[in-house]
Amino acid sequence: MTALPSIVSWLLLVSVFLLGVLTLRLASRARGQHKELERLNEALQRSREYAEQQKHKLAQRSDLDTVKDEFISTVSHELRTPLTSIRGALGLLTSGMLGDVDPKAQNMLRIASSNTERLIRLINDILDLERMESGRAPLKLRRCSIQDLAREALDTMTTMADSAGIQIELQCRAPRDSIYFDADPDRILQVLTNLLSNAIKFSPAGSTVSVQIDSDTNSLLLKIVDQGRGIPADKLEAVFDRFQQVESADASRKGGTGLGLAICRSIIQQHGGAIWAQPNLDGPGTTLWLQLSRSARASDSASPEPVAPPAERGEGLVLVCDDDPGIRVVVMEQLRIHGYEIMEAGSGEEAIELARRQMARAAGLTRDNDATAQPIAAILLDLYMPGLSGWETLEQLKQSPATASIPVVILSVIPPTERLGQAQGWVQKPFNENLLLSELGRVLRSSGGAGQVLLVEQDQELARTMLHGLHEAGVRADHAATLQQAVDRCMLGPPDLVILETALPDGDGFSLVDWMRRQPALKTMPLVIYSDRELSDGDMHRLRLGPTQFLNKARIRPKQVEELVLMLVQRQSKPAAVAQGVRD
Amino acid sequence: MSGMRILIIDDEDDIREVAALSLEATAGWEIITASSGFDGILAAADPGRRPHAILMDVMMPGMDGPTTFRQMQLNPEIAGIPVLLLTAKVQGVDQRRFAGLGVAGVLFKPFDPLTLASQISETLGWPQ
Repeated sequence: MTALPSIVSWLLLVSVFLLGVLTLRLASRARGQHKELERLNEALQRSREYAEQQKHKLAQRSDLDTVKDEFISTVSHELRTPLTSIRGALGLLTSGMLGDVDPKAQNMLRIASSNTERLIRLINDILDLERMESGRAPLKLRRCSIQDLAREALDTMTTMADSAGIQIELQCRAPRDSIYFDADPDRILQVLTNLLSNAIKFSPAGSTVSVQIDSDTNSLLLKIVDQGRGIPADKLEAVFDRFQQVESADASRKGGTGLGLAICRSIIQQHGGAIWAQPNLDGPGTTLWLQLSRSARASDSASPEPVAPPAERGEGLVLVCDDDPGIRVVVMEQLRIHGYEIMEAGSGEEAIELARRQMARAAGLTRDNDATAQPIAAILLDLYMPGLSGWETLEQLKQSPATASIPVVILSVIPPTERLGQAQGWVQKPFNENLLLSELGRVLRSSGGAGQVLLVEQDQELARTMLHGLHEAGVRADHAATLQQAVDRCMLGPPDLVILETALPDGDGFSLVDWMRRQPALKTMPLVIYSDRELSDGDMHRLRLGPTQFLNKARIRPKQVEELVLMLVQRQSKPAAVAQGVRD
Repeated sequence: MSGMRILIIDDEDDIREVAALSLEATAGWEIITASSGFDGILAAADPGRRPHAILMDVMMPGMDGPTTFRQMQLNPEIAGIPVLLLTAKVQGVDQRRFAGLGVAGVLFKPFDPLTLASQISETLGWPQ
């Protein structure tokens, strides 16, 4: 809740900024000033009211959660009590234990009995889904083998498969050391048995259901292939929604609750993974895909230590574009808590305009010479919006030189498709916080992080000037004022070049270079040492990593350093820089 | 295992009746019932008809299941009788709370009338 005042002040800040921009425009046009100002005032008033409403809503949320919790628990108990009597009575009657029943009556009893079972499963599923989506069923993560879990699920389902006359098989194509991942084994098992049960239910007798495991560098892929009647193209996504079945009669005929796949998706998303359905290419039937991340530390997969879910600390300016104000507020809140700065756009048109203006501002091309204006680090983009769609917006962003370099993460209800196109990342709605943050973090890191140049400088004034200069030249750069900040920033992903002052408040440049030398990813980093200190030959030797330049603050002006850095960054593509570093 | 006597404590008449019939019909056990925790303690303490196990509801007006269980533990004559809770509360938090009481086991409603007796036997380690 402490974050609320900053949402409000942020909204006001944006409003003031918009007011400023519009005022400038108005001055150049003499006509219609009054009307536009009125409209602007109205808009300001509306945004204030909206901020107030959201503040109120957030405050109510935690109370509501408690009430909802108790309500669900009570309702579930109250429904179960009469069901206990019904199920018991029907069970005893149908068993024939109490004497023979007329065949017609027996059939009625069977119907009543099987529908009672269905109602019980439904109550259990609703309760399960509710607990998961409210985050009250936290994952108990540990290192698991996907192969072992799949084997266990197959063993569980053998009886059902046998009685349906269906063969189930498991193929593992992933290398032995890449089948480990961080997961809650009970939950993953729940997903696998549910998917297998679906596949068996919808397959004709005599066919085969096959489970295949594959892996790539970061993730595990598991697919369940059936030879059933298949899912129509327009239902491939809808089957994951609550109470959606391909044919309305399916629920009663197959005894499902209509919640199984919604529960699966919820569990997989909680794990930061994805689940989707595809028609088989080479025949009838469906393939259910599961993609599961093997965690950030995919390389030491053999280690059994539990890895906590990522709580990534981000930085940089993120533009959130979605026509649904509710989603914008939630996303912005989540990102802001984790250190990002936010801009919002309610339409594709607005996003393009805001991005263009902000990039121009960051590059110092506008007259309001604001040294703090930073470039947009990433754009989160909804696909289905009135006006310009997400795809069209993406295309326009990528066509304009000013905005082409900004990485875009698609936020959509549809799962990632082949059409990822020019986007760099994808988060499927509804998403949880971890999924959003990890995907955004991944995209920011792979696109060079929040900056390609890291400036380590304790003098804030000097740092501001230099950052401004670098941004102006179109170089992404960020700043660390202390040794610790520099280490943290490097851990997020190696920059392309580091500008380093040797004197730091919590240590010195020598310790930073010593630390970097021990990091495989950093030991050949190009360095520019920009310091007051007169360096001896021994000092220079200690400070050298990759290609290293020594510049003295007394003799070299910041502007010259910027020019040198610009030259270095433009000349060196990343691999070249590393190669050169090795030769040095 | 035949020849067993079970005390069912539940405030719902229908559930008592169904559970009793299920245990009689499937396992041939002798059933006594009580509709409140208080009556349950009295019934359990009757030296002539002491039950071999008690199946007890959790949510009851007056003394609820856990309270009744604790009261039973204060009476040395009935403290040794294994108690199974039969509950419609299925959430993890409730289950952990029940496990902490020291009862012999927890079974869930709605139960299957055809397997209730074998569930009880299994939980108590009785031969089936």
